[in-house]
Amino acid sequence: MSAVAPAGAAGPAGPATPSAEPPLLSVQDLSVTFTARRGSGRSEVRAVDGVSFDVRPGRVMALVGESGSGKSVTSLALTGLLPARGNRVEGRALFAGEDLLTVPRARLADLRGRELAMVFQDPMSSLNPVVPVGLQITEVVRRHTGAGRAAAKERAVELLGRVGIPDPRRRVREFPHQLSGGMRQRVMIAIALACDPRLVIADEPTTALDVTIQAQVIDLLSTLVREQGTAMLLITHDLGVVAGVCDDVTVMYAGRVVEQAPRRELFARPRHRYTAGLLASVPRLDGPRPERLTPIPGTPRDVVAWSEACAFAPRCTAGDDACRRGDLVLAPDAGAGAAPGHLVRCVHPAPVEQP
Amino acid sequence: MSDDEVLLRVRGLQVHYPGRGGLLRGGGPPVRAVDGVDLDVRRGETLGLVGESGCGKSTLGRAVLRLTEPTAGEVVFDGTDVRALPREPLRLLRRRMQMVFQDPMASLDPRQSVQSLLAEPLVAHGLGPRDSEGGTGAGGPRPSRRAVTGWREARVRELLELVGLPGSAAGRYPHEFSGGQRQRIGIARALAVEPDLVVADEPVSALDVSVQAQVVNLLEDLQERLGLTYVVIAHDLAVVRHISDAVAVMYLGTVVEQGRGDALYTAPLHPYTIALMSAIPVPDPVVEDARQRVLLSGDLPSPAAPPSGCRFHTRCPFRQATRCHDEVPLLREIPLRPGLAGSGLAGAGATGAGSASGHAVACHWAEEVASGQLSPRQVEATAAS
Repeated sequence: MSAVAPAGAAGPAGPATPSAEPPLLSVQDLSVTFTARRGSGRSEVRAVDGVSFDVRPGRVMALVGESGSGKSVTSLALTGLLPARGNRVEGRALFAGEDLLTVPRARLADLRGRELAMVFQDPMSSLNPVVPVGLQITEVVRRHTGAGRAAAKERAVELLGRVGIPDPRRRVREFPHQLSGGMRQRVMIAIALACDPRLVIADEPTTALDVTIQAQVIDLLSTLVREQGTAMLLITHDLGVVAGVCDDVTVMYAGRVVEQAPRRELFARPRHRYTAGLLASVPRLDGPRPERLTPIPGTPRDVVAWSEACAFAPRCTAGDDACRRGDLVLAPDAGAGAAPGHLVRCVHPAPVEQP
Repeated sequence: MSDDEVLLRVRGLQVHYPGRGGLLRGGGPPVRAVDGVDLDVRRGETLGLVGESGCGKSTLGRAVLRLTEPTAGEVVFDGTDVRALPREPLRLLRRRMQMVFQDPMASLDPRQSVQSLLAEPLVAHGLGPRDSEGGTGAGGPRPSRRAVTGWREARVRELLELVGLPGSAAGRYPHEFSGGQRQRIGIARALAVEPDLVVADEPVSALDVSVQAQVVNLLEDLQERLGLTYVVIAHDLAVVRHISDAVAVMYLGTVVEQGRGDALYTAPLHPYTIALMSAIPVPDPVVEDARQRVLLSGDLPSPAAPPSGCRFHTRCPFRQATRCHDEVPLLREIPLRPGLAGSGLAGAGATGAGSASGHAVACHWAEEVASGQLSPRQVEATAAS
């Protein structure tokens, strides 16, 4: 490893033309099964079940779901960060032609940090508390680009400045505990950007942050996607964040994709009962204040196996016997005026509200 | 406003934690977590307390119940000066003021059954069959142990039913429940002693989005049925807007704006409130695409060394030379504007007697900001590359 990494390999940073470009990451039929020994027998839990989606350069794909939906397990499987034992990963995840699920460990380690980067929810547990933040950045730069110590340090200062940390030359010498939560998350983003990755996987990057800081971080990430043509997979439970920055949305429930659509389409005409229920249940700052909120009944724990019925059926207001079948497929929305690429897995899709 | 209406009155409340100076501790300036807060909470109403982490909202909530000892100021609960009470009378008074915590997994003992968790406050306050309506169980012949046990079991079932859980839940343990159900248990535990005031610190923020609405509705139902008064502490302005009759926004230990009804939401006056509201994403792409964000620069200053003058001036996009830096803005009433008339604000008074609009703000330039005479500066700190 000596040559400088082909940082600009992703091509010119012009505005991305939506959908026309081939996907940079194509996840096909991804499944993750956790196995555990229970007494004498074995029990299996399928956390992710046949998930497919594409992430394109210059675009943000959102993966939305609540606890137990499998969204974080999906990101861990893609980055090879699941524990080595106790699970089975199936399917394909083609990243620029290479299958991330089958490449040798050494190759994956080489890709991670250089071509694909990750930002996690809690920067305090992802940063090393006893190493100055500058060193944590130069570590990545030197590992992947072979740059010298001085050059790497300059790069660290430049990166901290770019993510909006004031006085970066002083900050590189500081330790994570000396920084605020928002600053730490910026350091994480600076590390992620260190080698100009082509794909960023951000797992709840703003959940631990206050809203005013969240706005700054979201702003930063979307600038990156727009100006550098980076592809981004954004995992979140916050529909507001999705509405603000994402181009396409994949909604997961109990391990499966239940709906997939371009952003405006999804919010304007949600078809899966879960998506519609979720949108109806959140109180909003704009618009009139409703007398009562309309919650989704039950809890995310009330699921049935997808092999028997729609997993959402126990909580669904429209659920009936027709939902009790094991072969519900994710199919193009058959409703009038559906946008291309709008997929839904539902027997009784929600009615489309007329504007 | 008559004292009858106000259940909880807070005046000039301060909570300072001792400062730490370097390795040898001690000696540093105190951390001014709450630094001079005035609040009135009316009987049967909900006050929403919002702000970002570190603004002192949780400390304020705890200080009201004296779970954290205030440094100065006055807390008057239903005519009783809470700060002046010795230990035992305070313990008795706490039966009437209870708390609901954010994370029920952390606040419920995992090794206690629900029956035991819900009976514990009854035992602690000596509530039994004779005096379920209050009192301490003193006087009169003691009921038999069996009668007490039977009464407590019945009371636990009643509480479970009240929060929408089956009676069979009593024999189970916290880990057997989902997050939303655990929060219901946390609420039932607070209600066990029939309090008048419930301070709920982030009651829904640990819950899944699809479940939050259930708990919000439950809190509203309980308020209606039991005539409860709430102080709801939350960082989620949308949830607070939905549940509150009055809202106070905190920044760095002080209240910067407060208002009744939707006044604060329809016409925020303080630059911090404006920025906060503009930062909250709305689940609607059409709104999001059209939105102009007022981005704040930098981070929250240390409450051990709050900025001079207006505490927000270091981050304020509307900051004006010298006055914001030099002079502490007082929370002042802003007269009702014609456009807002008739939106349920009549007779409101959040800060003091005789107030017209109840909408108060601590900003020197609130009028100029509201009328558009001052426009926000572009913030440089977030500019990428």
